[in-house]
Amino acid sequence: MNIHTYEKTWLAVAMVLIVGFIATITYGAVGPGIAMIDDDGGTIDPDTINDDERFSDPGVTHVGGNEYEAAVVAQAWAYTPSEITVPANSTVTFYVTSRDVTHSYTVAGTNVNTMVVPGQVSEMTVEFDEPGEYGILCNEYCGAYHHTMEGKLNVVPEDEFDLTELSTEAPDEAQLGNQTTINTTVSNDMNYDLETTATLEIGNQTVEQDQTVEQDQTVEQDVTVPAHGSETLEFAVDTTDFGTGDHDWTVTVDGHEGSGTLTVTNATEGGDGDA
Amino acid sequence: MAMRNAYIDQFPEEARVIRAALWSSFLALMIGGTLGLIQGLHRTNVLRFIPSQDYYTVLTAHGVLLVITFTIFFLVGIFTWAVTTSLDRGVKDIRFTWGWYAMMSLGTLLVGVSILGGVVDQIPMNADVLYTFYSPFQAHPAFYVGFVLFVVGTWLAGFDWFRTWWAWKKDNPDERIPLPTFMALTTMLFWYLSSIGVAISILAFLLPWSLGIIDSVNPLLTRTLFWFFGHPVVYFWLMPAYMLWYTMLPKLSGGKLFSDPLARVVFVLFLILSTPVGIHHQYLDPGIAEGFKFIAMTNTMFLLLPSLLTAFTVVASMEHGARQRGGEGYLSWLKALPWRDPAFTGMALAGLMFAAGGFSGMINAGLSINYLVHNSWWVVGHFHLTVGTAVALTFMAASYWFIPQLTGKEIWNRSLGLVQVVLWFIGMTFMSNAMHRAGLFGIPRRTAEPQYEGFSFDPAVGTVAEIDAQVALGAALLTLSVYLFITNMVLTTIGGSTSDAIPDNTYAGTLSGPEDSPAIIDNLKLWTSIAVVLVIIAYSLPLASIIDAGGLFGPGIDPWKPSVVVDPSLVLESVRGVMP
Amino acid sequence: MSSAIEKGVDGKHPTDETDQVRELDHDEYDPIGTAILVGIYFLILVALWIFMYFIEFLGNGPTVTGVLLTVVGLA
Repeated sequence: MNIHTYEKTWLAVAMVLIVGFIATITYGAVGPGIAMIDDDGGTIDPDTINDDERFSDPGVTHVGGNEYEAAVVAQAWAYTPSEITVPANSTVTFYVTSRDVTHSYTVAGTNVNTMVVPGQVSEMTVEFDEPGEYGILCNEYCGAYHHTMEGKLNVVPEDEFDLTELSTEAPDEAQLGNQTTINTTVSNDMNYDLETTATLEIGNQTVEQDQTVEQDQTVEQDVTVPAHGSETLEFAVDTTDFGTGDHDWTVTVDGHEGSGTLTVTNATEGGDGDA
Repeated sequence: MAMRNAYIDQFPEEARVIRAALWSSFLALMIGGTLGLIQGLHRTNVLRFIPSQDYYTVLTAHGVLLVITFTIFFLVGIFTWAVTTSLDRGVKDIRFTWGWYAMMSLGTLLVGVSILGGVVDQIPMNADVLYTFYSPFQAHPAFYVGFVLFVVGTWLAGFDWFRTWWAWKKDNPDERIPLPTFMALTTMLFWYLSSIGVAISILAFLLPWSLGIIDSVNPLLTRTLFWFFGHPVVYFWLMPAYMLWYTMLPKLSGGKLFSDPLARVVFVLFLILSTPVGIHHQYLDPGIAEGFKFIAMTNTMFLLLPSLLTAFTVVASMEHGARQRGGEGYLSWLKALPWRDPAFTGMALAGLMFAAGGFSGMINAGLSINYLVHNSWWVVGHFHLTVGTAVALTFMAASYWFIPQLTGKEIWNRSLGLVQVVLWFIGMTFMSNAMHRAGLFGIPRRTAEPQYEGFSFDPAVGTVAEIDAQVALGAALLTLSVYLFITNMVLTTIGGSTSDAIPDNTYAGTLSGPEDSPAIIDNLKLWTSIAVVLVIIAYSLPLASIIDAGGLFGPGIDPWKPSVVVDPSLVLESVRGVMP
Repeated sequence: MSSAIEKGVDGKHPTDETDQVRELDHDEYDPIGTAILVGIYFLILVALWIFMYFIEFLGNGPTVTGVLLTVVGLA
């Protein structure tokens, strides 16, 4: 072949360029340790998502140390959960799957980005060093309202982070003199037991009757919520001293609050008729 | 009249088919380009006059019309010219040639009508599935049938060229394959190889599924089969442009092709390497091991080689022309090039933009860097430089030379042609540059409203508003350029007068001819075999593992018909409903 | 070779290369300008690649990472 010297040189230079590109990418895998989305997440039948151990209750769970898992279900046109909160200085492994069509799970302005293909589970591990707020968007067309599909990722300072959740259940009304119960369920998704104190405050703020003005009550209970478990507490409330009217209450556990209002009625004023 | 030796004088029958193919191409360009303006204005929120859910119908049509219809109709026209001109013989049976043209047109019509059903209630069809038609989106069967007819039409076109070549070879047993024919045939060989992927995807899975014969498909499998075809198809669009750069640009520059042997090597490399690279579109897909992705990247990176070689050979051919025209100095010869010729200037600017698009393609080829750019607006910026300029602008520019050849008429207004190609360059500079930048801070592609409720984008340099303005301005200039082009072509064809001054139908001579390369370069069987082996290496294990893990027909994947338009708030409620 | 290949200036090509002033064959022609242009292109490619990978990409964290042992090679 009769090839000009300049062109031979260019051929060599082009090969150097190509090898240099491949070398840079290889460095990225070996040095900073960048890993590609692959088949580690396995497959899943989309019809079984609700029965799946991981995806039936999606969200963030604590694995141990500073490691967390975040399970997310994508479907047209939302993520469940739509908002993910993790602590700074953590390593979070995302597991994302789709209930219907192909989506993506893309943390805008970062290198966290994966396709979400129905039948597959995308697994990706990310280190979050600094607190920050990020938008999550779907960058694969997923139907008529594709552009409305978004979520949020909050990386919060470590001391502001926990995986404690509080839910309360209490009657709205009680007859004066009866006893009633405010149930509080505390769940803990950290990988260790949560030892804490639950506090109920109940007070009459409707200043109608003078005998209860100063009568704020506070009750405390110690509680241990097991790792990845929950515990239900019962606060028994005797309404004898309350007086009729609305009484606001607040349950506080580990910085989380649940609140409601208990209306105390006279026996003759109807209510649920319980004597 | 006797002196004139234009294509229409040599091959009047073939010229009619090529004119039909080019006009089909131009019509697709005009409609697709107009839709592009609607998108450019809608996304950037400059002007929104369609509901956002219809944006995706428009986007589907824009993609299909421009990257399939516009490019491939032009390709079949120009390859017919290349084969007949360089072999100096007509096709074997012109009825067969009209047959594949008719088949491609029918396919286009079916696809077009099914897409149009997305916005016209009277058409009971829907194909809002975008150009990639990823399952479990399910289009109307007419969409798939039309796609198959179109592709089979191109297969028959290839057969037409092959048998013309076989007949020529019988008469010329010892001659090397003329370069334009060599380019057309090698391109068709990788097209046959790669379109098997989409054929299997449609015929074995998507079409029977859309007809209710099978209930479920494996989305990762059909997606992988799509990309088996989906990257080679970009080279299918590009190869006619390369052919024009190799065979026309040197001539238009006033020179000769610098190296015929290297041109052949380049096309052989494309034949070998075009197909085993498709997985680079799936770098961020689950279900494909990282090793397979790494192999795809290596193949993709080596595919840079033929393009880098092309850059040298084509520029050296232009420089040769410039120096023959009296050009001097290290770089001042550039001034001696025929910049007033729209065919030359358009192709040269297209090549320049391809150099930029080549760079963003190098980034796209990089495995891990896809976390940054994948499915972002960057990618849209990239392919508007490649298919949207290297290919589209080359085709438009070449038309200023070809339409006179095919009609025997002078271009209606060559100065307007020059304005048109320069306008395209300017418009694309605005649009593509802004899209690339936007992708880097996270603005996604393929969305009607990249404005979100819970967050906003945060560019390091500039603002989102400034980027949107550039995209809208660029889109407007590009659309204007398309209309100037169409106007010029229409007035040339229907209004122009027949001229004796049309140049002869020739292509560039060579400084170093085929005799400088070993005959093995023309051994198409050898290169095809190597291509098949590389495809087997790159694809057999990934496909096997996808089928092994997800089944041939997937686990219970329900079809999703995009026609069901519902209020998103209801959907959110249903999301809450299905969550335990 | 086919008769269609362009044979140079012979007066029969009305618009295509009327401006030709000399004929250069392969041995008389060194594409020095091309070498300069592709050389500049090479430098731009290298600079932009480094900028894109090390500043735009690696500077755009958080990034997906993995266990070091599984990321290299053909896992």
